[in-house]
Amino acid sequence: MKPPARYSALGLARRGISGDSWPRAWRQVELRPSYDVVIIGGGVHGLATAYYLARNHGITKVAVVDKSYIGSGGSGRNTAIVRSNYLTPEGVAFYDRSLQLYNDMAGELNINVMFSRRGHLTLAHSDAALRTMRWRAEVNKLQGIDSSVIDPAQVKELAPSLDVSHHTRYPILGALYHPPGGIIRHDAVVWGYARAADAMGVQIHQKTEVLDILVEGGEGPEGKGAGGRVTGVRTSQGDIAAPIVVNATAGWASLISAMAGVELPISTRPLQAAVTEPVKVFLPTVVVSGSLHVYVSQTDRGELVFGASVDPYNNYSVRGSLEFTEELAGHVLELMPGISKMRLLRQWAGLCDMTPDYSPIMGFTPVEGFLCDVGWGTYGFKAGPVSGETMAECVATKSVPELIQAFGLDRFGHGRLVGEKGAAAVGH
Amino acid sequence: MTSDSRPFLPSLRSVRLTPGKPLLGPTESGQGNDGRLTGRLGARSGEVVDRRRPIRFRWNGTDLVGLEGDTIASALLANDVQLISRSMKYHRPRSYLTADYWDPNSLVQVGDEPNVRSAHRLLAPGMEVSAQNVWPSVEHDIKAANGLVGRFLTAGFYYKTFVRPRRLWPAYERVLATFAPGGSVDIDTPHGYYDKRYSHPDVVVAGAGPAGMTAAVAAAEAGARVMLVEHEPALGGHLRFGDAGQRAVVAGLGRELDRLGVEVLVDSTVTGRYEDNWLAINQRSHPGVVERLIKARAKSLVVAPGLIERPYVFAGNDKPGVMTSGAVRRLINGYAVRPGRRAVVLTANADGDRAVEILESAGVEVAAVVDARAGGDVVAAHGPARRLEEVERNDGSRVEADLLVIAIGWTAPTSLLNMAGDRPVYHDAGARFVPGAALDTVLATGGLVGDGSLDELLDHARATGRLAAGRAALTSHRLRFSTARARAVDGPEPPWPDDDRPDFAPDPHPALFRSSTHGMVDFSEDVSSKDLVAAAAEGYDSVELLKRFTTATMGPSQGKLETVNTVAVLAEARGETIEQVGTTVWRPPFAPVSLGALAGRVFEPTRRSPMHDWHESNGAVPLSAGVWIRPDHYGDPAAEVVNTRSNVGIIDVSPLGKFDLRGPNVTDLLNLVYVNRWSKLAVGAVRYGVMCTDDGVVFDDGVTGRLATDRYLLTTTSSGAAAVGEWMENWLQTERPKWQVSVTPVTDVFASMNLAGPKSRMLLSRLAPELDLEPERFGYMQVRIATVAGVEDCVVWRIGFTGELSYEVHVPADRGLEVWQAALDHGDDLGLAPFGVEAQRIMRLEKGHFIVGQDTDGLTKAGALGLGRLVALDKPDSVGRPELVWDGTGDERAPTEPCLVALQPTNPEIVPDEACQLLRPGTNEIVGRITSSRMSPTLGRSICLGQVRSDLAPAGTAVTVLLIDGRRVTAEIQAHHAHFDPEGVRLRG
Repeated sequence: MKPPARYSALGLARRGISGDSWPRAWRQVELRPSYDVVIIGGGVHGLATAYYLARNHGITKVAVVDKSYIGSGGSGRNTAIVRSNYLTPEGVAFYDRSLQLYNDMAGELNINVMFSRRGHLTLAHSDAALRTMRWRAEVNKLQGIDSSVIDPAQVKELAPSLDVSHHTRYPILGALYHPPGGIIRHDAVVWGYARAADAMGVQIHQKTEVLDILVEGGEGPEGKGAGGRVTGVRTSQGDIAAPIVVNATAGWASLISAMAGVELPISTRPLQAAVTEPVKVFLPTVVVSGSLHVYVSQTDRGELVFGASVDPYNNYSVRGSLEFTEELAGHVLELMPGISKMRLLRQWAGLCDMTPDYSPIMGFTPVEGFLCDVGWGTYGFKAGPVSGETMAECVATKSVPELIQAFGLDRFGHGRLVGEKGAAAVGH
Repeated sequence: MTSDSRPFLPSLRSVRLTPGKPLLGPTESGQGNDGRLTGRLGARSGEVVDRRRPIRFRWNGTDLVGLEGDTIASALLANDVQLISRSMKYHRPRSYLTADYWDPNSLVQVGDEPNVRSAHRLLAPGMEVSAQNVWPSVEHDIKAANGLVGRFLTAGFYYKTFVRPRRLWPAYERVLATFAPGGSVDIDTPHGYYDKRYSHPDVVVAGAGPAGMTAAVAAAEAGARVMLVEHEPALGGHLRFGDAGQRAVVAGLGRELDRLGVEVLVDSTVTGRYEDNWLAINQRSHPGVVERLIKARAKSLVVAPGLIERPYVFAGNDKPGVMTSGAVRRLINGYAVRPGRRAVVLTANADGDRAVEILESAGVEVAAVVDARAGGDVVAAHGPARRLEEVERNDGSRVEADLLVIAIGWTAPTSLLNMAGDRPVYHDAGARFVPGAALDTVLATGGLVGDGSLDELLDHARATGRLAAGRAALTSHRLRFSTARARAVDGPEPPWPDDDRPDFAPDPHPALFRSSTHGMVDFSEDVSSKDLVAAAAEGYDSVELLKRFTTATMGPSQGKLETVNTVAVLAEARGETIEQVGTTVWRPPFAPVSLGALAGRVFEPTRRSPMHDWHESNGAVPLSAGVWIRPDHYGDPAAEVVNTRSNVGIIDVSPLGKFDLRGPNVTDLLNLVYVNRWSKLAVGAVRYGVMCTDDGVVFDDGVTGRLATDRYLLTTTSSGAAAVGEWMENWLQTERPKWQVSVTPVTDVFASMNLAGPKSRMLLSRLAPELDLEPERFGYMQVRIATVAGVEDCVVWRIGFTGELSYEVHVPADRGLEVWQAALDHGDDLGLAPFGVEAQRIMRLEKGHFIVGQDTDGLTKAGALGLGRLVALDKPDSVGRPELVWDGTGDERAPTEPCLVALQPTNPEIVPDEACQLLRPGTNEIVGRITSSRMSPTLGRSICLGQVRSDLAPAGTAVTVLLIDGRRVTAEIQAHHAHFDPEGVRLRG
């Protein structure tokens, strides 16, 4: 493959003078009749998997198919917060690797993903919350993660707009402070992986919807299900033969898996978010309040980006609700009473594929050649790079990397759930 | 408004008014030959300003005077101020483009309020208005230097640079962040009074132009209760700034609305349409409050927002002096403000033609009319950055002008229809998007749907109003029929009114989006057509990708002005039609809405027990425990423990969750939601129970007593009450609908208090002399209904969370304080003293009783708590049973699985913080954690509960505790959870 035009200030300058345009970031090509690997879902997980398959394992006859445009799902709808201050050692190790990959991403993918390591505050409004913060801080410290519990005065210093007085209904008693956490330009991550994967030969097919997964020899109807073997996928653009199919479709994961006869313990719920009009930057860190179900950060463009916890019911609708904005505004003003005159500009929702233990489902399934990278709930974006890296290893070596051994689908059959439930519920 | 604290206050009294003589008219003959570019004209017949009422305000610190009725924009232009803002990226000088709410160049700071739409906000006395995002001033802005390197700062340039060296990015980022557009927030802004209101009108009409007003009248005449909502401060839409005849139409419709009693809201916006016509209406005009959010469940919604005039893309199209025809009409006819002196008009429609007349009537010289219908076009606006000097036409000629008026077509703001699921379709002949398929109860009318004569417009609107009312009537009828409280339905169901509205569609209009040159597409984001073409060539060639890559349409105007031009430029770049490219989805809100309005008065509920005031006046230190405020202690929790253990103490436990259960299937319910057995609970007995979720994880615990054959009182943890209530209802309503159980939450029906300590029996005997307290007849885990301190029907049960002999008394809430006081009176000589939550926590820890959520976590199953024997696996069913069966109920665990243990540090002085990690001695391997810890006043040493790997749980095992400060100490696992009185002698005494 011809190496892509390098992004650099010099390149910008040269093109600014010559008026030449940059080449396409990824090609538009015809669908081939067969691939070695088909990845369903052109979000950060699917694209990262494709990228690491090519880069780390030399597997380039790969197609990433998406029914819409790349990054149209959770990758483009999340609030772009990354952190590694998880609760369990497994979680910490996994997300720390992800954070490391994010940290090196700009250089590696040659695109500025605008990773802003501005620090991440999780506020505690009760003894119980403070105890959980301390628990996380202690686990984090033992694993070498920069994470500590700070007092209200230190909170005020880091985020002066927060009301740390005792007059509020839910006073801020302290916070878990995680300096390496921050925000990143989520779309740029998607585009960066797409461009780099494309440069190594991976094909990206947008507006290519998977209608069925072709399986033979299984126990279920039409030869699907356990014991079967994947032979390809049927798409809106035609059939593709492939011995390996990876499901990376987040909110639609259980529907896609059902096409292969694999039932997943996943329920899909909307997660809502909203953004305000821009104002001059006044909030330098990411602020999360579990008790008030809100997280907020201010982009370099000056907009406040808000998210909440998942809606309490299953739904595939990505329309926002009025109640969400009311509750959100009430809670945000509890934390930052001074911003009542800022205006909400846009609201939206994304779909979260929730598992019973708030941990993902990664790796092999009872159908040979059909792999899952799903169950990403509300924390999928943070895990994008490491998921891609480990899933690629899984596909290439046909064995499950240690980092994701805890996340196998079979854990639900053995009662070995992962303990992030308490920490991840509103753990942004 | 916002500035009553500002030093400059207007003094209307100080302005001498000469009756009959306009104070602030033009200096000469209405032509304004005053050396100014813009300024106030002589009186106009339809003007909305009141010349007898001047208003003083400040612009960037300078005192200016406007008129009542002025917007900030018209007042600034009347004062010859044109330079209002600077663009986001290149800091190009900007002035008014559309001079209405959507004007991207109009955002200013007013006092502590950022991003005020100055062409919409009415001028108020004393307003402190300033340009935002400029330094040092809007006239001389240093960042305008960005314009010089603009060719390098193409859309998305930041993705391509600052890649290496990585260590410099944080520095770059800090610089980039200073480029954030918008005004500033004063973090000390007080939270003003915002309110909310619920409403249930039959029909809501969004938009009060001629079509909306007519639809509202027609719907009201058909018998509907109608709410008419107008974004602008007055009714009339585009006719408001029209000729005398048009204004008379508005006035006539206004009288009809009055006569019919239609509720009219001005300066209010329907900001969102959610499921089932659940509408958010942001009312900015309600007296006494800053803003109000009206939440209306409308049976029908009529969408009549009119049209938004679209800017035109050509070189220099963002230069001050380039304006839409609507801006000119509004400024001259409405505010009597001259927008310029010498104009060129680019027209493709009647609005443009009318603009020529309006300009001439205001004495503005029209130097040229460029008729796009005859092939004329404008290719560039020339002049220095801040001023238009020449207009270049497509024939190569240049016309000297300081004003270029654009009338090249409109955009239909279909947002509310999008929110109802409608997708706009492109109307090729009319060169704009129009609503797609008609929806049942969301009906569009007015300019959104089509053009034509005023009569045709009003005919369509009238039919739409009638249709909306007819469909609302049917919905009303069905609602009455379907509610449980329905009276006899009055009459037969009305028929479903079919959509028989007259045809109404856009008139043919030339398709004008971009001239032969490149110019700004998104004024708020500084995105040019050239940027869009370049981005599409890079592969960002679907509307959504293009939008995300360039940020076009993402700014404060929400794409109202920019979306269609974006789509048109992309279509051009792709060599496709606009129809093929399609448009983007408009999400709520329709117009930005303040956080204050959404939040309202901010109700965060606080619950207090009936004895709360007593606690307060007796020195209790409050503890915020979820929704409750509780006494943490009364000064010295350790002393409270000692007193309770040696005498008797009393604690307010009113927040304890309580449910009254009745009906034949109560036992079935208890057997289902608790993992232990309930069939043999005798009347008068109390049993401890543990609830698990489906995955076998402990979810709540508490005791339940059988008060009578068919009556039970179930208690939950204080924090778990709401969740347990929902949990039981969920099982009853969705999984076991045939069971007859009524679950009544009675948490606040009772005031609850616990008498604990060796002398509690003595105390209770004084309070309830008729109650037989002999241990053999009222033993541990028994319940009685008794008269306590003269209060009948109190529930008294013998349990022992503290590990002491104790009686929990549930008293009718209104008598709580009385019984509490009586207990104190009777207990004086027994050494009775109140104790708080902290003392209770210490005592339960001494006794080894766990707290769900503190000593357990999201994975803790019943077996891990040593409750294995409690789990009844031979029951037909219980929630979590499959997991528990599988797990085995025995207390034997897999070696790595954690279980709950008691621990004591070898150094009795050291109290490890809760959440300290337990390590395998000599390593950093985490083997568990401390879940509870305290200094025990009873034992005089530190005590803990913790979770630890099962293979390290045997008594006597030593583990390392990593303290918060990094020190490592040793603790020893204890044989029993209880550090104190493991046999329970005191409890059962």
